[in-house]
Amino acid sequence: MLLLGIDTATRRIGVVLASENGLLGRVEIGGPEDRARPRHAEALAPAIRYLCGECSVSLRQLSAVAVGIGPGMFTGLRVGVTTAKVLAQTLRVPVIPIPSLDLLAYPLRHSRSLIVPAIDARRHEVYYAIYRPVPGGVQRDSEYELGSPDDLAGEIAARGEETLVCGDGAQRFAASFHDLDRVELAGAAHAAPSLSALAELAIARYEREEFSPPSEVLPMYLRRSDAEIAWQSRSA
Amino acid sequence: MKFRTQSAAQTRALAELLAEVLEPGDVVLLGGDLGSGKTTFAQGLAAGLGVDEPVTSPTYTIVQEYEGRLPIAHVDVYRLDRVQEIYDLGFEDFFDGERVTLVEWGDVVARAFPVDHLVVQIVATAVGDERDIVFEFQGRWQARRGRVEELLAGYA
Repeated sequence: MLLLGIDTATRRIGVVLASENGLLGRVEIGGPEDRARPRHAEALAPAIRYLCGECSVSLRQLSAVAVGIGPGMFTGLRVGVTTAKVLAQTLRVPVIPIPSLDLLAYPLRHSRSLIVPAIDARRHEVYYAIYRPVPGGVQRDSEYELGSPDDLAGEIAARGEETLVCGDGAQRFAASFHDLDRVELAGAAHAAPSLSALAELAIARYEREEFSPPSEVLPMYLRRSDAEIAWQSRSA
Repeated sequence: MKFRTQSAAQTRALAELLAEVLEPGDVVLLGGDLGSGKTTFAQGLAAGLGVDEPVTSPTYTIVQEYEGRLPIAHVDVYRLDRVQEIYDLGFEDFFDGERVTLVEWGDVVARAFPVDHLVVQIVATAVGDERDIVFEFQGRWQARRGRVEELLAGYA
């Protein structure tokens, strides 16, 4: 089987090709330190073309398309999820959606601590979830949340356990976590959702035939509001 | 902090001066009744940032982007009814990069925007085209009070 994986939930644009025997290759563009305007819409399709070309893989050979569905950067997710759906629909292969926070937590599964990935949500907020290592992977022990770095720091402090914090949100708001006891930051290598985790988790789901119809795959948006805009000044 | 202008041209000139303090990622929310001069103010800010194309109200396009010393997203939320519509436009991505975001009527939904922002209220006085221009510095904008006060001293 051949899998194409895409994750664009952060400033990092990531594309991976893998088979059941391991990775064929991957391309990563951008990251938290790249302050240039995010260019997911411009860079994703050429990155896929480049990777497939260098690995001598034709799109027609793909068995499935995996995609990180966030939560994360709004524009990036729209580009990544739409690209994955269009490819899957055109090639008539399944889509395998995986939350990007899971992709941050999974590579740290050999730790003995709580694992807390935090993705920069802008507006001084982070998307996060709390995971525990379990044999062979990680298990999520909270909802997927949106909150301020201080909200998250408070939640970590309340649990009072050894904790490893990762993701570009942890890097950006490192100051919120520095003073906490028993909390470590995972560093730059764990800033973006892992592409090898995407491949590994997606191939496992493919083998269990856990697919989603492309039309049902949507980015995970946690920033929701039911509020009406309180117009008083706008005349009818 | 309050300033006063006597004409649309002066409002535009004040905004053009203010542009000097703008930094990448800034958010400026413009408030005031219809016809008070929000678009005039936006035009001044854009000119101050070096935009040389015409700047018009984006009431129907909702967002219009311009290239200047800093890229500008000029937004008008007047036609929107729900906060969710603002989120669905993906504005949050504007607030993080190089852009300056100007939002007409943004004061009405300030909580949909980052906590660090400047609110500019434009209020017609009873006299001719005279306007009171009232600034509210929110979050990290407070650090710029002194500079703004100094820069716009001519309109105090």
